[in-house]
Amino acid sequence: MTNKRTIIGQSPQKVDGIEKVTGTAMYGADYHFPGTLYGRIKRSPHAHARVLKIDTAKALALDGVKEVLTYQDVPLKKHAGLPVPRIGSLAVDQNMLTGTARFVGDGIAAVAAVSEEIAEEALDLIEVEYELLPVVLDIDQAVKVDAFQIHETERNMVMPPIIASHGDVAAGFAEADYIIEEAYSTGRPVHAYMEPNVCVCKYDLNAKLTIWSSTQGAFSLRRTLSEELGIPLHKVQVIVEHMGGGFGSKQDIYQHEFVCALLAMKTGRPVKVEYSRKETFLATKTRHPVTVRLKQGMKNDGTLTAREGLYISNTGGYASHGPGITAVGTFDMTSLYRCNENWNLEGRSIYTNAPVAGAFRGYGAVQGFFALDVQMDEMAARLGIDPVAFRIKNAVGEGDLSPSGHRLHADSLAKCLQVGAEEVRWSEKWESPQSKSGRVRRGIGVGTEMHSSGAYPDITEVSGAILKMNEDGTINLLTGVADLGTGALTAMAQIAAEELGTNLEDITVISGDTDVVPYDIGAYASRTTFIGGKAVQNAAAGLKQQLLSLAAKRLDSDESELDIAGGQVVRDGEAVLSIKELVKGEGGTPASSLISEVTHKSKVAYSFAAHFVEVEVDTETGQIEVKQITAVHEVGRIINRQGVEGQIEGGIQQGLGHAISEELILDPQTGRPLNPSFVDYKMPLAMDMPPIKTIILEEQPDPGGPFGAKGVGEDPIIAIGPAIANAVSNAIGVRIRHLPITPERVLEALEEKNQKSN
Amino acid sequence: MRRFEYIEPVTLDEAVALLGEHSGKASLLAGGTDLLVEIKEHLREPDYVINIKKIEGLHTLTYNDKDGLIIGSLTTVREVEKSTDVNEKYAGLAQAASALGSIQVRNRATVAGNICRASPSADTLPPLIADGAAVKLFGRDGERVLLLEEFFTGPGKTQMAADEILVEIAVPPPSPHTGKAYIKHGRRKAMELATVGVAVTLTLDSGDICSDVRIVLGAVAPTPIRALKAEAVLRGKVVDERVIEEAAVRARAESRPISDVRSSASYRREMVYVQSRRALGLAFNRARGII
Amino acid sequence: MKKLITMSLNGETHEIAILPYRSLLDVLRQDLGLTGTKKGCDVGDCGACTVIMNGKAVNACLVLGVEANGAQIETIEGLAEITANGYKLHPLQESFLEYGAAQCGFCTPGMIMAAKSLLDENPHPTEAEVRFAIAGNICRCTGFSKIVEAIVHAGNGE
Repeated sequence: MTNKRTIIGQSPQKVDGIEKVTGTAMYGADYHFPGTLYGRIKRSPHAHARVLKIDTAKALALDGVKEVLTYQDVPLKKHAGLPVPRIGSLAVDQNMLTGTARFVGDGIAAVAAVSEEIAEEALDLIEVEYELLPVVLDIDQAVKVDAFQIHETERNMVMPPIIASHGDVAAGFAEADYIIEEAYSTGRPVHAYMEPNVCVCKYDLNAKLTIWSSTQGAFSLRRTLSEELGIPLHKVQVIVEHMGGGFGSKQDIYQHEFVCALLAMKTGRPVKVEYSRKETFLATKTRHPVTVRLKQGMKNDGTLTAREGLYISNTGGYASHGPGITAVGTFDMTSLYRCNENWNLEGRSIYTNAPVAGAFRGYGAVQGFFALDVQMDEMAARLGIDPVAFRIKNAVGEGDLSPSGHRLHADSLAKCLQVGAEEVRWSEKWESPQSKSGRVRRGIGVGTEMHSSGAYPDITEVSGAILKMNEDGTINLLTGVADLGTGALTAMAQIAAEELGTNLEDITVISGDTDVVPYDIGAYASRTTFIGGKAVQNAAAGLKQQLLSLAAKRLDSDESELDIAGGQVVRDGEAVLSIKELVKGEGGTPASSLISEVTHKSKVAYSFAAHFVEVEVDTETGQIEVKQITAVHEVGRIINRQGVEGQIEGGIQQGLGHAISEELILDPQTGRPLNPSFVDYKMPLAMDMPPIKTIILEEQPDPGGPFGAKGVGEDPIIAIGPAIANAVSNAIGVRIRHLPITPERVLEALEEKNQKSN
Repeated sequence: MRRFEYIEPVTLDEAVALLGEHSGKASLLAGGTDLLVEIKEHLREPDYVINIKKIEGLHTLTYNDKDGLIIGSLTTVREVEKSTDVNEKYAGLAQAASALGSIQVRNRATVAGNICRASPSADTLPPLIADGAAVKLFGRDGERVLLLEEFFTGPGKTQMAADEILVEIAVPPPSPHTGKAYIKHGRRKAMELATVGVAVTLTLDSGDICSDVRIVLGAVAPTPIRALKAEAVLRGKVVDERVIEEAAVRARAESRPISDVRSSASYRREMVYVQSRRALGLAFNRARGII
Repeated sequence: MKKLITMSLNGETHEIAILPYRSLLDVLRQDLGLTGTKKGCDVGDCGACTVIMNGKAVNACLVLGVEANGAQIETIEGLAEITANGYKLHPLQESFLEYGAAQCGFCTPGMIMAAKSLLDENPHPTEAEVRFAIAGNICRCTGFSKIVEAIVHAGNGE
C-alpha cells in the first residue's frame, strides 16, 4: 500500500475557482426567471411594539403590486429559526411575520411586485399603528423582577441556567495562595458577509417548491419549510450553487425565506427577496454580547486550583442560538487551562430588545476564552511569571479533559505556544509594561484557544457522500457539504482522489442540491473537513475496494497484490491497467454498478491555536496599530494548504475588527442600530491589515478525520481577541478586559492609570 | 430607487432655468456619489434629476502663478488628487483628496459636490478654506463670487440659492515659504469619514517668524471653522514647539464638537488638540523646506 | 419613461431602453443579464460592483444607467478572452487562481476590476500601492492577504 501523500497537503486550483474569477458563478440574486416578482419586508421601526392596526389597501392598489401579506396572513405557528437543536432548550419563539415586534427591524408584513422600485413604494403605502412597549436593552434591566417579559419566560431568561460542575471548587479555593476575580465582556460585532441574504422561490404546478437561497444548511432549510408550510420533503428542493459568506448567520432560517416561499405559492410566480445591506445589519444576526465573571485560584508555584464563573449572554429579541452558545461558552471554560478539575460554571441567556444574536464563527468560545485567556495573563503578571511560560505550564494536554468531556491525546496547545514563542522571539521581545515610555508604546501579547471539529455530542453529527464511477474512469462525487467559500469542495475532491488513487482532475464534485446529494446537517461548527471529509474518504475507500475486486478478477491476481495510484491499477509497483480500461466494459457496465455511498456519524476532535501579536499604541490618540501577527495552528493534517491559510487569515481579519473597531452601536433609548452600514461599521480593510505569518502544525492527527485532518474554520477568530487585548495591556500597562478596545477606551484606561499613580 | 425624471441640459442657462422651474423638487447630478446614496436612503426625494455633465467648460483644472488653482465644478476628486500642481503647491488639498472615500468614489465625486454637500466633516473643505479659496456661482442674474470661508451656514447648508450652480473654485497661489498640511483623524485608513479634520496653511517670514497662518477645523462644529484665536497665537511670532503647543490648546477650546455614533465630543476635542499640534508641526517643516 | 442609451460593453455595442432611475449596476444585472458584477451594499461603500467606465474604476451602484450613454464599460465578463480554441484568462484571473485569492468569490469580480484598473495605470505596483488601490473593496473572507499577493504577482509577471 502506498503511503505517499501526493494530493492532500498541496494547494491545487479550487474546483470552483474559474467561475469565481470570471464572474460566472451563480449566487442567489443572480437567478432570474421570466415573470419574477420582487419581495420586500415591512419592518418595525420600534424595538418593542404591538401592531394595533395594519391597513394594506393602498399598497395592494398600487399598480404592479401582486400580493401583500401581513402577520395575519401567514401560519401562526412559532418556530425556532434554527436548523438543529443544540443542548439546552430549543426556544420555539419566532414567527414568519410578527404582530409583536421585539427588535428594530422585526418583520410584520411583505409585498411582492413586478419591480424592486414598486415593491419599495408599496412598503411605504402599508399603514401601521403601533402600541409602544417598554424597551429593554441591557441584561441588568431585563432580569429585574418587574421587567417586561419579552416572551413568556421568567425574568427574561431564555432557558434554565446551564451548569458545568466538577470536583470540589471550595477545596480548590481554600488551598489557593492567590484568588483573582474579575469581569470581562465582549461587544456586539456582526458577520458582515459580502453577499446580502437572498432567496428565490418557485412553486410549480406539481406543487413542488424550489428554493435558491444563500444558506449554510440546505437540508435544514428544506426540513423547516417542509414542516412549517406543510409540504412533504420530496416536494421541497433547496439549491445552493454558490454563496457569498455566512460565518454562522446563514445557518438560521429567516423571515424572508418563509415569506418568499409563501409569496411564490400565493402568486404562482417566481419570487425573489433580496436583503439590502442595511437589512443585513438590522435583521439578520449579531454575535452575543457576553459578560463573564471569572474567579480562579492559584498557588504560588503557578498551578491553578479552581475555577468559578458566570457567563451571561444577551440574545436580543429572539433566542436563536442563545442556549447553544451559552452552553458551548460555559463548557469551553472548563478546559483550555487545567484547574485541577475543580470547576463550577454557570451560563445564562437573556432576552432583550436588542437585535437578535445568533451563531457566529467561534460560537460562544470567542467570549468565554477571551475572559479565560486575559485572566491567565493577569495571573502571570501577579506572579511575575512570563505569560507564555505560565500558559505552557497549565495548558491542557495529554490526559486532560476537553470541553466535551473526552480526554485529550497530545500536548498540542503547549506545542503551539512553544513554536510561536520561538518564531516571534518572545523571550527577547517581551518586556514588562513598567519599562515602557514615550508617546508610542510597543507591546506583545499572546492568545490561545481550542475548538472542536463538529458539535458532537451536542448534536448528532451526520454527513453523506456518494461516489459514482463513469464509463470512462472519471468520477462524480456527490457530497452533502456546503462550501461557503471555505474551499470545502476542493478539499473533498482531494480527499477522494488521495484515498482512491485517482487523479484530481478526473473528479467532478456535485453539491448544493437537496434532491441529488446525500444528507448533511450544514456548514458550521468547523465540521466540514472532519465529518464531511471523512464521509468522502470512507466512500472513496469503498469504491476503491470495488475497483480492486474487479481488477483482481480481470488480472487474475489477488487483491492484496494490487493498489491504485495516479489513475492506474498498480501491481508490484508497476502500472498495469488504467481505471478507464478497467471499467470500460459495454453498455455502461460495469461502471454503472460501481457506486459507493457512506453516511458518516462522528465523534469529536479538537484543534488548537496560539496567536502572537505585536502592537503599537499611540498614547495621545489611543489608536492601536497591529504591527504583526503570528498564528500557530494545530490541525491534525492539512488537506488544502491555501484553504487552511485562508481560514486563518480571514478569521484574523474578523477577530481583529472585533477586538478594536467593530461594534453595532444601539441608541440607548430606542434600541435602534445607529451604524447599520459599511461606512460606520468599522471593519479592517486592505490598508488596515498587518502582515500575518501562519504556521500550521500537524502534531495530533485524529483518526476520526480524513487522513487525520481536523477543523480550522473557527479557531483563528477566537485566539486573536485575547492576543490583542494582552498586547495592548502590555503596551500601556493597564489591563484591558472589554472588547472592542476603542481609542477612547485606551485613553480612559491611561487616564485612570495616571490618576492612580498621582 | 425612487422614481424621478432625468434631464440633461447642455448650457448653464438651461440648467438654471430647470432649477427655477422645478424649485424644491430638483437635484443636480454631477458625481452622484452623494445624491444617489441620499435618494436610496430616502434622505432626498427629487422628482427631477438634472445631470450637468453635458455642459461645456466646467471640467477644467489649471494652475498659474497669477490666478492660482482653478478647479472646474465637474473636476473629480481623483483628478485633483493626481494633479502635479496640486501636490506641489496645495499639499493639504492633495492629502484631503487622497483620503476621501475610495478610488472608485473619487473617480466620480467632484470637489464642487463635496463643497455643495457641505457636510461638517467633508475632507476638501478645511484645506480649501485654509488656502483662502473662493467659489463662483452662476444663477439667473449672472455670476457671483463668495469666499469659501463664508459659504457654509450649517450642516448641509450653504449660501447658494436653489437655482444657482457652483461653476468654479479658485484657490490663490501660495506665497513663498508656505507649508500646508491636512490631517484626517479617523478609525481606519480608508473608506472613512473624519471624526476630526485639521488643515493648516502656514507662511514664514525671515527666520521662523509666522507671517500668516490659517487653521481650519472640520467635523467639530456645524460647519468647518477657522480657529482664529489659535491663529492669533502664532501670527507674528517665532514658531517653535511651545508656540505650536499653545496654539493647539487654543484650537481645542475653539472647537464645538458633538457626540455621535462616530465619536464623543470630549474625544473629538482632545483630538483637535493633538492633530492641530501635529498639523502645525508638519506645515512648519514644509514651510521651512525640510520635508 | 424609458430612455434609449448606447454603450460599448466589453467591446460590444449595446443599444437598450432603460428606466432613468436605475443604476448602471441594476442595468447590467437586470436589463443586460450580466450578473458577474455584484451588489454588496448598493451605496458605494464596498466596491463589489466595481466596473471600469471610460478607463476609470467606479462603483456601478453610484452611476445611473443613463449616464453610461456613450461610455465604454468593462466588466468582469469581458476580461477573459474567449477564442475558438477555448478561453484565455487575464493574468489577474490566473493569479487569483494560483494564489487562492478567492474564497466565497463575491468580492472577487469587483476586486479584480479594481486591480485591473491599477495595473492599467501602474503595471508593477508595490504591496502598499496595491493595498491603496483596493482600499475601497471589502473582503470578509480572506483578510486580503492572498488577494494582495495575487495582484502584486500579476504585476510582476509572476
